[in-house]
Amino acid sequence: MPINNNNSVDKSAYRPVFLNLLAIRLPVGGVVSILHRVTGVLLVLLTPFGIYLLDRSLSDAGFFVQLQTWLGQMWFQITLLLICGLLLQHFFSGLRHLALDIDWGIDRQTARITAWLTFAGTILLLIVTGIWLQ
Amino acid sequence: MRVTSSSHSGLGEWLLQRVSAIYLGLFLIFLIVRFAFWPISDFDAWRSWFTLSWVRILWLFAFVSLLLHAWIGMRSVFLDYIKSFQLRLVLTLVFASGLLVSAIWVIDILFRNGG
Repeated sequence: MPINNNNSVDKSAYRPVFLNLLAIRLPVGGVVSILHRVTGVLLVLLTPFGIYLLDRSLSDAGFFVQLQTWLGQMWFQITLLLICGLLLQHFFSGLRHLALDIDWGIDRQTARITAWLTFAGTILLLIVTGIWLQ
Repeated sequence: MRVTSSSHSGLGEWLLQRVSAIYLGLFLIFLIVRFAFWPISDFDAWRSWFTLSWVRILWLFAFVSLLLHAWIGMRSVFLDYIKSFQLRLVLTLVFASGLLVSAIWVIDILFRNGG
């Protein structure tokens, strides 16, 4: 082990570059954290479509009727549920991060439970949304 | 840790990200409750809801929060994952322009029929 002048271990000398993502076992809190980022980026990319829908639905009566028709069709419902899934996961993991900011649920046990709860909340509300769409 | 010559600590962004998050969360709950209990059935009802000043103001705040939230979030993502300064600069500028256009678009939608 290389020792530098200050008698401490020089970690940079042979720190392994280990980016085999399949071999890295990320704890559930880490998964929730990265999902917060991924869903955030995807939601940002979807925002222009949302603004477009708002624009057209408010300016064109025919488009509003078209939207209502789509709402009854399978492909639109599935797309909508996928987007709701992104939004709900981002909402719940964000809520968890806000709680962690004020030191709530910061201990390992609670943090793990709340991480799993973000998935549970997302799935539960997705089911409710799916039923509501019928 | 990144060493910069800037005295800017980023605390403002940190706070803005939380404040916008809280507003967006509350706005989402408001929308869900509004449409779950008082569904909108036709175009005229949808349009007339948007003629209410307070509804427009709530939507405007929501979009301002959304765009700021997106800006701070995407900036963090760019800073963390895009190593090349030039590429990061280009992406940040493209993204900032997109946000600016979105903001103008949203203001036009909300206020084009006379404020």
